[in-house]
Amino acid sequence: MQRILLGQAAPGMVLAREIINQDGMVLCGAGTALSENLLRRLADMEVVDITVEGHPVHIEGEKTLAEELHEVDLRFKRVEDIAPLMYLKKRIQARIAAARSA
Amino acid sequence: MDEKKRAQFRKVLREIKSLPTLPGVVAKLSKMAENPETTTEQMGRVISKDHILASKLLKLVNSAFYGFPQRISSLNSAIVLLGFNVIKSLIISASIFEVMESQDVELWEHSLGCAVACNVLARHLGVKDPEEISTAGLIHDIGKVAIKMELPREYETITAMAQEKQISRLEAEQEILGLDHAEVGSWLARSWNLPNKLIEPITCHHDPLSAKDERLASAIVHFGNILIRALGYGHAGDIWVPPLNNRAWKMLALTPADIDPLLAEIEEKLWEVKGFSLDIQNEASGPA
Repeated sequence: MQRILLGQAAPGMVLAREIINQDGMVLCGAGTALSENLLRRLADMEVVDITVEGHPVHIEGEKTLAEELHEVDLRFKRVEDIAPLMYLKKRIQARIAAARSA
Repeated sequence: MDEKKRAQFRKVLREIKSLPTLPGVVAKLSKMAENPETTTEQMGRVISKDHILASKLLKLVNSAFYGFPQRISSLNSAIVLLGFNVIKSLIISASIFEVMESQDVELWEHSLGCAVACNVLARHLGVKDPEEISTAGLIHDIGKVAIKMELPREYETITAMAQEKQISRLEAEQEILGLDHAEVGSWLARSWNLPNKLIEPITCHHDPLSAKDERLASAIVHFGNILIRALGYGHAGDIWVPPLNNRAWKMLALTPADIDPLLAEIEEKLWEVKGFSLDIQNEASGPA
């Protein structure tokens, strides 16, 4: 799952989350495949960012999965002797990895 | 550490000058709350006189931090739903965070994130008044703001020492000031006459068992703070996940099976509050 600017979206990408406008109205449901036509309409409705499945856009300066996992390791460095926190760390890392591939 | 210096820091922080004083409206409302004849409408009217404050309050109340299923559109319903204590602490938070948001965006993010985590935990545990616990989470690090405002030089030294020695900000504070942000936050909360349910979690968020009356609330803020730091949301002055108090952990009675659903719910709500700001003026016309 990746949050991207509408300008970075391309036809074929699939929405991972619904698009909601300022008034809380759903413009487009999760699971919708984006088309040229739809992207144009979203731009007309002044949608700024959307969330798509997978991780299709490489953003410069963005952390790699390995870097992200390493940062989690580092944050937990001082509590490695506390079992519940080590479990928490494992789950957070698993979720980060899963979010990249989903 | 030099006793004289320590006493001096203590004095400065106890007589905090640069933090905004409590808006007059709080004193007025406290007085009104003492009178059993006061109606919610009357209180609502007093708050509404300050338009910016009123819109900030409604914005906070409707944010994912409190997780009300329905939009609360009037101050009166907010007062009824949240109770006077929460409203009072929200007015205080709104005033404090005006400073914090402009001064330290990352600490502000950490505080908002902690409020979200506390709210999710409190609801999961089925405690009474989860809103008060979210509010405690929102202001648990208020002492850090006070230290930054009152002792900017020492604040920088603390930051540098924490980084250099790879220790927590809390430890660096104790080393340099002989006191820490939890203690300072405690003085502030007391000076504002906040209820114990907010004072104790602020005072005891690193040592929840030292709480006397509000041990569970303190344990929730203790773990909420750990969760949000574990997720790396915002920045609270150092990168470390703080140690978990074993007895507080037992009190929360969470099992491994609880962790994933809790994380999922917190992540979902963090998503919703991303970019949340109390800054009313900087917004476009806002939702209709």
